[in-house]
Amino acid sequence: MSILPILTFKAGICDLDTSTSPPKVRPKTQPGYIYLYAEDELVHFCWRPRSAPLDHPELDLVMVPTDGHFQPYDYEDQPATSSQIRTPTNGRIYVLKFSSSSQRHLFWLQSKSQHPSGNPGWFSPRDLKLGQIIDQLLQGEEVDVHDEIANIQNDNDDEPDGDETMEDIEGTGEHGGDHHGSSGGGAGPDATGGDIREEGEPSREGGADGGRALSSTDPSTIVQNFLNSLKGAPSMGPASQAEGKLFTTLGDLLPAETTAPVIEAAGQSTVDHLLSFLPPDLMLLAQEVDDISSVDPNSETARAAIQALSVNQKKDILRRVVRSPQFSQSLASLTAALRDGGLPGISDALRIKVENGGLVRGGGVPLGSGEAVEAFLQGVRRSVEEENGNQSNRMETD
Amino acid sequence: MGAPIYAHYRDSRAQFLAYKSPTLKGSRKKKHINIEAVVLREMDKGVFTYLVDNLGVKDVQFEELIALDADSLREISGNRCSSMESPVYGVIFLFKYPTGETRRDTPQKGTFDSEAAENIFFAAQTIQNACGTQALLSVLLNKDGAIDIGSQMRDFKEFTNAFPSDLRGEALSNSELIRDVHNSFARSSPFVDETQRAATEDDDVYHFIAYTPINGSLYELDGLQPAPISHGPCTFDEFPDKVIPVLQERIGRYPATEIRFNLLAMVRDLRIRAKEIGDHEGLVREEHKRTAWQWENALRRHNFLGFTTEILKGVVRSKLQESGTSYDEWVQNATSKTENRLKDRRGGSGSAEGF
Repeated sequence: MSILPILTFKAGICDLDTSTSPPKVRPKTQPGYIYLYAEDELVHFCWRPRSAPLDHPELDLVMVPTDGHFQPYDYEDQPATSSQIRTPTNGRIYVLKFSSSSQRHLFWLQSKSQHPSGNPGWFSPRDLKLGQIIDQLLQGEEVDVHDEIANIQNDNDDEPDGDETMEDIEGTGEHGGDHHGSSGGGAGPDATGGDIREEGEPSREGGADGGRALSSTDPSTIVQNFLNSLKGAPSMGPASQAEGKLFTTLGDLLPAETTAPVIEAAGQSTVDHLLSFLPPDLMLLAQEVDDISSVDPNSETARAAIQALSVNQKKDILRRVVRSPQFSQSLASLTAALRDGGLPGISDALRIKVENGGLVRGGGVPLGSGEAVEAFLQGVRRSVEEENGNQSNRMETD
Repeated sequence: MGAPIYAHYRDSRAQFLAYKSPTLKGSRKKKHINIEAVVLREMDKGVFTYLVDNLGVKDVQFEELIALDADSLREISGNRCSSMESPVYGVIFLFKYPTGETRRDTPQKGTFDSEAAENIFFAAQTIQNACGTQALLSVLLNKDGAIDIGSQMRDFKEFTNAFPSDLRGEALSNSELIRDVHNSFARSSPFVDETQRAATEDDDVYHFIAYTPINGSLYELDGLQPAPISHGPCTFDEFPDKVIPVLQERIGRYPATEIRFNLLAMVRDLRIRAKEIGDHEGLVREEHKRTAWQWENALRRHNFLGFTTEILKGVVRSKLQESGTSYDEWVQNATSKTENRLKDRRGGSGSAEGF
């Protein structure tokens, strides 16, 4: 029977080498397609080499609705005391994972990176949309694939993202010069030197791997690759100030050195306000309540215990919290969530107004990477300024 | 050819979308432990102690075994003479499950004791990330009598008594109590839809196994194996002596460079012993430990989204109140810090671990 794919796009397979820690992702060079089709009301998730016919996939997974998820792959292994951003890879890697088993399949996008500076680890809005569409399909949701794709706007689409462009990049080296760092693994002209060798790019020059800075020969670790891709960043022109920037992390914005003075200087009402966002158990523990599980935090006893704490004791709790590994970890999580497109949802939940609702201007996809973090910070600043404005207005009318 | 994504054939899409099974979707979500959210990555004595406490188990705590010898194990439980006074109920072993190790017909060491599976609480592991809880319950539910496992666990044990081990595993995931308690100790990552969490290979690589004496034999209870593994006769008193060589052999199976394993001993609440022998200092020490654990657990389970925003607002407010450039300097400092850290990593060895 003939297979009618719902969706097809260029992707390669990755192996995951778990013998090291962190594990190494090894992309395989072979150009291929991921495609989905439906048969007997179940979605098939398939991969085939581009040379193979539709009905000869090397991978054909029958997906039960809600069992599978298709998401960008980020390696996460945070040391307890650090709060740095997660390390992306030097390629756009997606993972297909299952609720019902620990099976994982990793794939890398073989289409040209849309990043203006050629950062190969950057998921463009279209890339993200693609992943979302697939994920939704795997949940059994209705997706009007045509409309969704037609709606994605790509601001930096200098050229059509057609196959022919990719063939060009594969075949020749000259596009590397035209595009900021796309031949160097996404950093800039500087990165096109020895880095290529380190990252194992010779096969790309041979045109085998679909124009990406990945290779099946020994690539550096995920961290190395990303850093290499950043190497040329400072030397880039204005384009680098556009999308995909690094910006900073919440952990770097809120180290203890910064938060402690603010706590120190806080007045009684601010301290109480901050404490109201922490679990009441902390207050009970400070009161040396023996068995906090036996105390209902909403009870009179609990309230009394909290009231009985001195301002200093309360500040002490706040200080301990901002120094805690759990807080650092949560900052890292939040940073990652913002970078991964969580800005609209998060800002909405917090009632922080962010520009354009957290979406890419003119588009229907969320901001990502450093811009999302920056937009979040700007939204917070705006909130503070508004609050200050309200206060001073009030004062004027007194 | 335009866009590299080919959205074809609406007909096939329509065909697929004709499949709708809301009941399946809904029931799946209710039935299973939210696997993604349940990651007991830190094998932490504080987490385990309060996890079993929340399950209704009385007077049990966990301590780390640092030195692999029987004396150390006995010392942890506070016991110098009789193990009945201060028993070691079992040992939980966390280690990296070697890739490619499949279920075998015969275990590498010891013997499968399928008959024992009828008399022992042994559950097949069905929920991937729940294996920490699985290991805990393997010990607990076999110690009914020696430990007051509480009414809820007793009910669960009775309920699953007649089940074969794979069904017991299912029952574990269906138990709302166990599921809720387990989930509440998951590393809280409320900002990210947990299903977006990275596929860390740690998830199926790290594994928890329980060792405990039951009915006069030393058993290795591993939910991924087909049956409990017997390592020979072993009384309660002999447990610390006999479990050590078994653990040593197990650890020896892995390359010397693989040092990521951890051992937790399940012992009786040390405060009890301290009270009994009038060890005031020891009692105070244990109480402080408990307070610290409860503090950590409270933070672990907490959703910091609101707090983070308020703290951030506080910092922004104070920067804006200072000189005109304060805010920009603060952001610039943070940005430089991020960049520098990444540059430093690059300068490090190629085998640098994540961040």
